[in-house]
Amino acid sequence: MKVEKVKQIAMGMIIPALIVLLWLGATFSGSVPESILPGIPKVGKSFINMIKAGQLGNDLFVSLMRVIKGYLVSVLLGVTLGTLMGMSPNLKRMFLPVITVIRQIPIIAWIPLIILWAGIGAASKVIIIVIAAVFPILVNTLSGISETSERYVEVAKLYRLSKWQTFIKVYLPHALPQILVGLKLGLGVSWMAVVAAELIASTSGIGYRMSDARSLMQSDVVIVCMIVIGALGIIMDKGLSVIFSLFTPWQKVEAKK
Amino acid sequence: MSKEFIINVEHLNKTFNVNKKEMEVLHDITLQIKKGEFITIVGHSGCGKSTLLKIMCGLVEYEDGIVERNGHKVDGPGPNCGMVFQEHRLLPWLKIKDNVAFGLKGMPKEEKDSVVKRHLEMVGLDGFENSYPSQLSGGMSQRAAIARGLANNPTILLLDEPFGALDALTKIQMQNEILRIQKNEKTTMVMVTHDIEEAIYLGDRIVVMSARPGEIKDIIQVDPYVSKKRNSAGFAAYKKRIYDYFFEDTEQKYQQDINELAI
Repeated sequence: MKVEKVKQIAMGMIIPALIVLLWLGATFSGSVPESILPGIPKVGKSFINMIKAGQLGNDLFVSLMRVIKGYLVSVLLGVTLGTLMGMSPNLKRMFLPVITVIRQIPIIAWIPLIILWAGIGAASKVIIIVIAAVFPILVNTLSGISETSERYVEVAKLYRLSKWQTFIKVYLPHALPQILVGLKLGLGVSWMAVVAAELIASTSGIGYRMSDARSLMQSDVVIVCMIVIGALGIIMDKGLSVIFSLFTPWQKVEAKK
Repeated sequence: MSKEFIINVEHLNKTFNVNKKEMEVLHDITLQIKKGEFITIVGHSGCGKSTLLKIMCGLVEYEDGIVERNGHKVDGPGPNCGMVFQEHRLLPWLKIKDNVAFGLKGMPKEEKDSVVKRHLEMVGLDGFENSYPSQLSGGMSQRAAIARGLANNPTILLLDEPFGALDALTKIQMQNEILRIQKNEKTTMVMVTHDIEEAIYLGDRIVVMSARPGEIKDIIQVDPYVSKKRNSAGFAAYKKRIYDYFFEDTEQKYQQDINELAI
């Protein structure tokens, strides 16, 4: 059992180790200019410098605040609308075609229009996050609610539960695992959207730091930002997984079987 | 007339619209059930047995005929009528105790707990209060479903092929338990099944139904001394009598199919 686990982890480390080796090889041989690909020690040094100067913390704080605002709005909007559409076939017929069309527009393509409307400040970032994150949350909520088996609804009918009680005791718990999937996707997308928006037009945030560093040819800073963005994304995703598993204890039991 | 029967069905017809075509599922069903009786209904799958049961408990609407429970017209589910479905239909997100308590309303927590405990003991599931349905076997889940059906103390329990998915040994065990429960609780039970032996073993009366449209072909009064001995000659005689109905029925059906083919 333990040996299995170690083996699994070791397998997962092979590719990262190869990448690091390639990186080391490329930079030590001196064939790649430092402004294109800095050495690992240099990236480490600028990571420490950025933390010490408080710059990295500031940039992340600005970006994370935007994500939190945009994400909360998306959750509220997505879960509410998804639930209403799931419960009412008429609302679903009304909204679903529009939503399906809008979803096809990549989030990057929204940025020019949103900048024209809301400028390059925090508001435009929040709007972009909402546009990006609301759909995965909405669509997952919708399918979780509307795929509730008629068989369970019939049980609620048998025991004469009111509409509201049926929603709370049958539809909502049935949809919950899928809503949580939507919430996780939504957070991931929020994070990507804020970085994209900041890269294109911003005066603050981690994305802005990257585009600033690029114009100064500081490839080490760019790489530090990329790594930090990736790491934070994983932490947020895993964090939500842990929190959410508390909400659906029956799923843990099912997974064990 | 209808007061003395706990369930009274008279001249019930039911049609469904399937693909814009009217399909008659139940034709002129008349059936009176006395308090405390155990009625079994046998028939082919698709003969409308389940529909009949759902109409009795108010889950399916009807337009043509009389359906009464306790002398009142059935116009929806009521607290005095429980139902156990073919699949256990326990809600996967609720613990067993909460599933059993699902239909209990307006009851203080201690009372609820004691009702749940009593019913779990009744079906031999004490100790599984905090398990989830996915942790139980098929037979155990069906027991929990029966506990849920009985928890709010219904006078009538309708069972829709509750043991259909169980293995033969578990099935016999469950049949004995349902008889024991019926004896203790004096609940009127109506069970739909396609298992002829089950119908004989459990029923005080057996309703034999034919398919398309579902019609009552016969109602057989069973001698309890014979029907509880599965190996007796009397039991075999009942079995043959019921088999013959279906045999004749299928022959007719084949004949009809052949005629349709010829056209």
